Amino acid sequence: MQIERKITLPKIGMSLVLLAMLFFTLMPIVFMISASFMTSRQILRMPFSWIPEGFAWENFAKAIQGNDQTYIFVRNISNSLIVSTTVAVTTVLIASLTGYGLAKFRFRGRTTIFMMIMATMMIPFEAIMIPLYMVIMVLRIQNTYVGLILPFLVSAFGVFQMKQYLTTFPTEFIDAARVDGMGEFGIYLRIVLPNCKPVIATLAILSFRSQWDNLLWPLLVSQSDKMKTIPQYISNFALERSTDEGAMMAAALLASIPMFLLFMSLTKYFIGGSAVYESRKG
Amino acid sequence: MGLKKYRGIERKQARWGFIFVVPSMLFFSLFSFYPIINAIYTSFFDKRALSKAPPKFLGLGNYIRLFDPARAANSLSFYNSLRATLVFTLGTFIPLLILSLMIAVFISNLSSNRTKKFLQISYYCPAILSSVVAATIWMIIFDPRGLGNQWINALLGTPGVDQGWLVDPVMEQVSTMVIYFWKYIGYFVILFITGLASIPPTIYEAATIDGASKWQVFWRITLPLLKPTVVLVSVMAMLQCLKTFSTQYMLYSNGAPRAPINVITFNIYVTGIQQQYLGRASAMSVVLFIMMLLLTLLQFKTTKSENVDY
Repeated sequence: MQIERKITLPKIGMSLVLLAMLFFTLMPIVFMISASFMTSRQILRMPFSWIPEGFAWENFAKAIQGNDQTYIFVRNISNSLIVSTTVAVTTVLIASLTGYGLAKFRFRGRTTIFMMIMATMMIPFEAIMIPLYMVIMVLRIQNTYVGLILPFLVSAFGVFQMKQYLTTFPTEFIDAARVDGMGEFGIYLRIVLPNCKPVIATLAILSFRSQWDNLLWPLLVSQSDKMKTIPQYISNFALERSTDEGAMMAAALLASIPMFLLFMSLTKYFIGGSAVYESRKG
Repeated sequence: MGLKKYRGIERKQARWGFIFVVPSMLFFSLFSFYPIINAIYTSFFDKRALSKAPPKFLGLGNYIRLFDPARAANSLSFYNSLRATLVFTLGTFIPLLILSLMIAVFISNLSSNRTKKFLQISYYCPAILSSVVAATIWMIIFDPRGLGNQWINALLGTPGVDQGWLVDPVMEQVSTMVIYFWKYIGYFVILFITGLASIPPTIYEAATIDGASKWQVFWRITLPLLKPTVVLVSVMAMLQCLKTFSTQYMLYSNGAPRAPINVITFNIYVTGIQQQYLGRASAMSVVLFIMMLLLTLLQFKTTKSENVDY
């Protein structure tokens, strides 16, 4: 296969395109990391130098202290962690339960129910946020975790993914457990759930990420500073500190660390998980 | 007798299956079907959030107002939102589609698996940042003194010119497209790589033996076989673009003019939540819903009729 190794003009062109795209995708991330250690004057200096002169640690102090020294950043990032984790857990639990029910049991209306759940994928969240907002007002759960979490307890995409995965699950395992006298719920909890780890990981990551990224719904639900989430914090911080680019980048970097850690430890589930339909909230 | 007992077990199991499905059914009824029906219902009324009086029935009044030609000239009209959404969607999804397909083909042609993996992961990196963070980074790059101007001026040989990335109406729209493109390119590259991997290599071997060039292979074999993925990715990208909100919100709240980037979702937010015209915002929601519904149905139709067998 020596012919393949020849360096040709199209090959050089292809490599150049790939390199240009590599630069385009990574440059802003490197810029964020580098700029978070710089003073605003350095960031906006012409020409820009990529290596920070010394470390402007005060950027991170400002980012955490917030605009009025209240350390609300800590509370806001915790809110995001709580909401995203809860949504990931409930999505996995409810979607796997429903997916199991739809995949392995025959009952009247099964197909109809599945089709109806699939139909909700066509309803974008953006189109129902006004009625949902009215529900939140009637229930008086503005500024609560319940209000932030309730509309995202489970996703149709999650049900779909779980059902697809469990259809191929060997029924013999389930029957064997039944013969041994295990209850139906016990079978779900002890036989089915532990055997769908890959799909659970993918689904949990997708759900976690969609809430970590969610700005619109918290804007509607959380007006009090204490109940705001991290996207809201970044947005407010960028607004009130609009001339302090270093602190803005420090806040952005801090807010991205949980996702970076998750991505680095579970890369294959990120990449694999994106290769299917993203949930309607994605 | 044995049969009867068997059917009893089956019925008992069926009941369990139903019980397992109940939580989801409750959820989707309450948080998907009820709200969309409610949105359609509310769109016929002059409902305000803070008024205690029962809302006045308007019939199609809200829709007529949205599509009133007399309002088209208003820079914050719904017409403008439709235009902004359309421009953003086309301007983002076409480059996304073409470049992600091109890059996916280039990556699949690489021989080293490690390079392939490295490129995929690197291209995917922007997708793990939240939209708000993405917008914040790019707002600094697009600052009049920022990297955006420095590089464009170096490329065009026009030192000291401010391109007005976040001020000029056209450039502002370009900026939102760049941010969105940046965030999603890696995601779509991976979708295409998955699609390409499902084409059996024997087909390529057969074509190469028959003396087809790489260019011919791409146009005659890869692209036709990749059609389902192309349709899927196009519709997904379009649906994603129609839902864009955070980028526009961030740019606007940091001082960029609203009219050029007043996409439908942003208009719904301002009208319904900030100005509290729930009826009017619901009418916009219904229009958005119908647009996305049509797109999805179109996708189902095309993917069904164009099933490819290898």
